[in-house]
Amino acid sequence: MVVDQMTPIERISRYNRGEPVDRLPCVPIVGNTAARVIGVRVSQLRGNGELIARAHIEAYRLFGYDIIRVFTDLYTQAEAMGARVHYPLDQTAYLESPAINDASEIDRLQPADPYKDGNLPHHLEAMKIAIDEVGREVAVTGALTCPFTNASLLIGTENLVRLTLKNPEAVHRLCELSLETNLRYARAIIDAGCTPSLTDAMSSSTVISPKQFQEFSFPYLKRLIDYIHSRGKTVTMHICGKTSKVWDMMVAAGADCISIDNDADLLEAKHRVGGRVRLMGNVKPSEVMLQGTPCDVRKAVIECVRKAHDNPRGYIVASGCSLPTETPFANIHAMLDTVRELGFPVSVEALERGI
Amino acid sequence: MSGINQLKEKLYRELSDAVVEMDEERAAGIANIIVQNGIDAYEAIEKGLAEGMHRAGQLFEEEEYFIPELLVCSDAMYAGLDVLKPHLKVNEGEKSHKVVIGVVEGDTHDIGKNLVKIMLETSGFELIDLGRDIPPQMFVDTAREVGASIIALSTLMTTTMDGMEQVIKLLDEQNVRERFKVVVGGGPISQGFANKIKADGYAVNAAEAVKLARALTRGA
Repeated sequence: MVVDQMTPIERISRYNRGEPVDRLPCVPIVGNTAARVIGVRVSQLRGNGELIARAHIEAYRLFGYDIIRVFTDLYTQAEAMGARVHYPLDQTAYLESPAINDASEIDRLQPADPYKDGNLPHHLEAMKIAIDEVGREVAVTGALTCPFTNASLLIGTENLVRLTLKNPEAVHRLCELSLETNLRYARAIIDAGCTPSLTDAMSSSTVISPKQFQEFSFPYLKRLIDYIHSRGKTVTMHICGKTSKVWDMMVAAGADCISIDNDADLLEAKHRVGGRVRLMGNVKPSEVMLQGTPCDVRKAVIECVRKAHDNPRGYIVASGCSLPTETPFANIHAMLDTVRELGFPVSVEALERGI
Repeated sequence: MSGINQLKEKLYRELSDAVVEMDEERAAGIANIIVQNGIDAYEAIEKGLAEGMHRAGQLFEEEEYFIPELLVCSDAMYAGLDVLKPHLKVNEGEKSHKVVIGVVEGDTHDIGKNLVKIMLETSGFELIDLGRDIPPQMFVDTAREVGASIIALSTLMTTTMDGMEQVIKLLDEQNVRERFKVVVGGGPISQGFANKIKADGYAVNAAEAVKLARALTRGA
């Protein structure tokens, strides 16, 4: 069994400078599996910053991955703006109803105050606790749902995507309101000593066209990322599903690292944008991480590493998207252990013989 | 070609174009002209509206169209359908296969389900849409009640996939499994998962779902 020789912060800062490291950075994108680690129900995390922090700190300690992301669901900002979220007893929360049902109601919406509204204060508290406890050894990030996706939660996805064609002005207003919430939340996250971690599920080409991305996602992402950069932080951005036609725009918006799903190909990403951006991905969260065996995970990790380990701007071994809550611990350990065994620099021979 | 046939073909083509071009008003307008000229509503639906949705579906597969376009095409299709439907003769479409469709319990993402519904409807299936966040037993009860051929289950979330297997288990327990074809789809679903839970089929998108549903009901 190979053990880590560095803290995540040492590893990533050395990796960024091109210095020798013990292994590639690795981030199985743990979500509510963190609740399983400390043996609480997912719904107990609601409104409990202390418990959210405990779950994510202990999950980090158990698996030894390189970035903590304080996360419970994608709805926190929309909820703080009036969307209704349903909290099942022991599963990830889901959107019960959007904040409004019609574009005529947009005037009712206000940007959220991250120190007062919804569950945002609890998430900020969790980030502060995590940074106090383990911030010297590992980067702590806070999940932030980007403007276009947040807008979809404010008015409903089907409504929003219809409006992109029928009433673009309304979409822009919703994105502008969402951006304002994003900027306030990003400021609060950075003031707490953490970094926002960007997710923009609905900007995927599985949903909208690259042209719609350019019109409705890009301008707001650019302003958000410009702000985060102005505070001296780098930006990791995840978009689910198909993304190859918007990689260039993700890079142009300023992303330093793009996290890609398994509907996209790491090799293609390396050739197309790898000289300009770090890549992260893309072991299948459901088929491999949830339903596969540790042996399947090992094979999938090796395949990803084979494709992307020599990416010019660097590569982080990761799942393609957030892991399902019930992902077996053994599979998460298998991801990290495979990366540890591969070591650094990764030798092609090791990859060829499956380590 | 006789004058009336030429007129029919022209109107069907215009109806189909109105759908592809996402023009609700024009679709309803042309449907009205069709009714005024006493042209067969069933044929106009099939060769005009459904043909338009079929072309929209192809553009979607070719990544020329995306979900927003497909939804707004369907708005135009339904606008035309609302005009033509009252003029259908009663027995038409009587033998169409019924599909009970819904998003499984614990999930409220329903765009994928809605697209599958639209595409199946335009392909001649009769859809019973249960909506979203649906308990397994309701799929079974509804399918038995309406005499469905297909039960179509959708989810975007990994946390709710188990609800799909639950539906199949309930059908087994109630000894009615062989009466229905169960098909599954959604973000985290794969052919492997479909095989594992012993579903009858998996489709990666709405266009494929039509092919699957046709294959499963052929000869039935």
